[in-house]
Amino acid sequence: MYTLIKISLRNIWRNRSRTLVITTALVLGIMGGIFSAAIRLAAEEQQFEDTIENMVSHIQIHHPEFIANPEAHYRIPDGKRIAEEIGDQAGTAALSARLVMDGMAASANMNTGVRIKGIQKEAESQTTKLDQLLEEGTYFEEDWRLPSVVIGRQLAKDLLVETGSRIVLTFQDIDGEIVSSSFRVEALYTVTSRRFEERTVFVKADVLGELVGETDAVTEIAILIEDAERYREVTDDLRTQYPDLEIRHWADMEPALYYSLEVLDQMLIYLVGVIILGVSFGLLNTILMSILERVRELGILLSIGMKRMKVFSMVVMETTMVALIGGVAGLILSFFMIRILNQHGVNIPGGEGLEDFGFASVLYPDLPTSFYFEIGGVVILFAILASIYPAWKAIRLAPAEAVRAE
Amino acid sequence: MQTVIKTEGLSKTYTNTAVPVHALKDVNLEFKEGEFTAIVGPSGSGKTTFLNVIGGLDKPTKGKVVIDDIDIATMKESKLFDFRMRHIGFVFQAYNLIPVLTAVENVSFIMLLQKRPKKEMEQRAKEMLEQVGLSDKLNTRPAQLSGGQQQRVAVARALASRPDFVLADEPTANLDTESAFNLLDIMARLNKEENITLIFSTHDQRVIDRARRVITLVDGAVDKDEHFERN
Ligand SMILES: Nc1ncnc2c1ncn2[C@@H]1O[C@H](COP(=O)(O)OP(=O)(O)O)[C@@H](O)[C@H]1O
Ligand SMILES: [Mg+2]
Repeated sequence: MYTLIKISLRNIWRNRSRTLVITTALVLGIMGGIFSAAIRLAAEEQQFEDTIENMVSHIQIHHPEFIANPEAHYRIPDGKRIAEEIGDQAGTAALSARLVMDGMAASANMNTGVRIKGIQKEAESQTTKLDQLLEEGTYFEEDWRLPSVVIGRQLAKDLLVETGSRIVLTFQDIDGEIVSSSFRVEALYTVTSRRFEERTVFVKADVLGELVGETDAVTEIAILIEDAERYREVTDDLRTQYPDLEIRHWADMEPALYYSLEVLDQMLIYLVGVIILGVSFGLLNTILMSILERVRELGILLSIGMKRMKVFSMVVMETTMVALIGGVAGLILSFFMIRILNQHGVNIPGGEGLEDFGFASVLYPDLPTSFYFEIGGVVILFAILASIYPAWKAIRLAPAEAVRAE
Repeated sequence: MQTVIKTEGLSKTYTNTAVPVHALKDVNLEFKEGEFTAIVGPSGSGKTTFLNVIGGLDKPTKGKVVIDDIDIATMKESKLFDFRMRHIGFVFQAYNLIPVLTAVENVSFIMLLQKRPKKEMEQRAKEMLEQVGLSDKLNTRPAQLSGGQQQRVAVARALASRPDFVLADEPTANLDTESAFNLLDIMARLNKEENITLIFSTHDQRVIDRARRVITLVDGAVDKDEHFERN
């Protein structure tokens, strides 16, 4: 075994230029793979933080009619109790029971359609972290004569208002009667989606409840779950639990976003696949050449009694060592690449146009350490697989033929 | 004297060619312990084929190769590897050595495959390199050795593991006259001193008279089998 390693190492050194070619291919392969994975992960994480976690949540529950007619009339029967039930279930990370309805927002200058969300201060900051999204103002702290409203920065622009301004919200109460009431803008929030900023305003649920005629009314339950990957299973469970309610997960609610993520995923899988295949075939070819160059040498080894299995291991070992050298070098370089990109950010070409879908135009890739090992492992594994065919060729040599080879 | 190798009705026909080539035709020979034999004949007469078949590198089409009362022609290939390693030493025409190993590592290689103790292995390898006059080249790689020196290392390797016999296929073919004589002298001496059965092939008139037995092949058949008294 020790001699096999010695022979392998010396062969690697003897063929320095070939070793360099293979190592470079591996380094580039690993860097490409890690770059792709980092971008994908950064995009996904940013996606989830901005769109899913800050706006939509993983799962939402409504009265079935509410989707088409977002009015206070379509309340979730027994909403408060259901919210408490779900909040107590294992796997629920945070939950916000809201009184939501469509209405109009008007300033002295303009008016526009908005979705009014009556929230509980604490629950909402745990669910969408609304308090952290504020760009200006305070989070339902003021004790003004008029109740507070928190609106998006874009809506403030549209309505030509600022914090401290008065706006009028108009909506229907539970019986369908029109209600108008004045609010004072306490804060402006900002998210990556301009549309959301334009359309969504937050007030306190008890204030809104009183105005629509039912203090405890709930029309929307937004849920964050602990294991974000399990959103489909959790949704299915809730559907069996509450068959009369409309229960949707984020992929149902934001199909465009879901598909853009899927497409990104697919593209990157193909990309990584092509990189790995390319590197593997390059490797296979180089190793095969090195075997053909050494037919006679290998023939002599077989003749003097070296077992085929040993010759096989020798060839595989040589590649494994080169793969390890290239793999480790690739991982170290990738690590620094990601560190640098993480500090400077990666511009996504055409990224500005993507902001309406909730994509940021600059990503800050970061990777958990396990990823380096996974990708490094896959590339090294493929390198070793690529040596199997040449090694198999080597041991199929007939010794009598091989020693005749000139 | 004990018989080391015996062939019975040995024939080899290559059929991978357009016309079948009868490379060996009914060869019946016996080699005794301690013999020093030259297989001679023009190019294409079947010398390499004969050595490959009795060395277990190739299978005969017909006939037997009996070594140690075993017909190796019927031996399974996995057993043959072991058999070759334990009983037969090989020297080929050229490029015998593993390029990345030093002379002493090359000589130790077969003993290493045999899992001999390290101490014994090193001592024997050094001793053998001394025997072939290369004690100053122990740590030299093959590329830094002349053709004659490489062949001497190959002879040292073949003998180091104390095989039952050594087969050398045209060991002098690529050597100048002086190196060729030198190599044959070394082989003749080792044959005596180590009492090792040696069979080499050659079509090189210069070195034939070093052998004590000369077998002439013509078109794959034994034409002459002569014994000479030499010392
Ligand atoms: N692998 C092979 N396939 C077909 N014919 C071969 C092969 N090896 C040798 N021969 C033929 O067998 C005959 C004997 O060859 P060989 O044993 O190499 O003779 P020598 O070593 O005396 O030159 C020649 O005619 C040669 O062309
Ligand atoms: Mg020949």
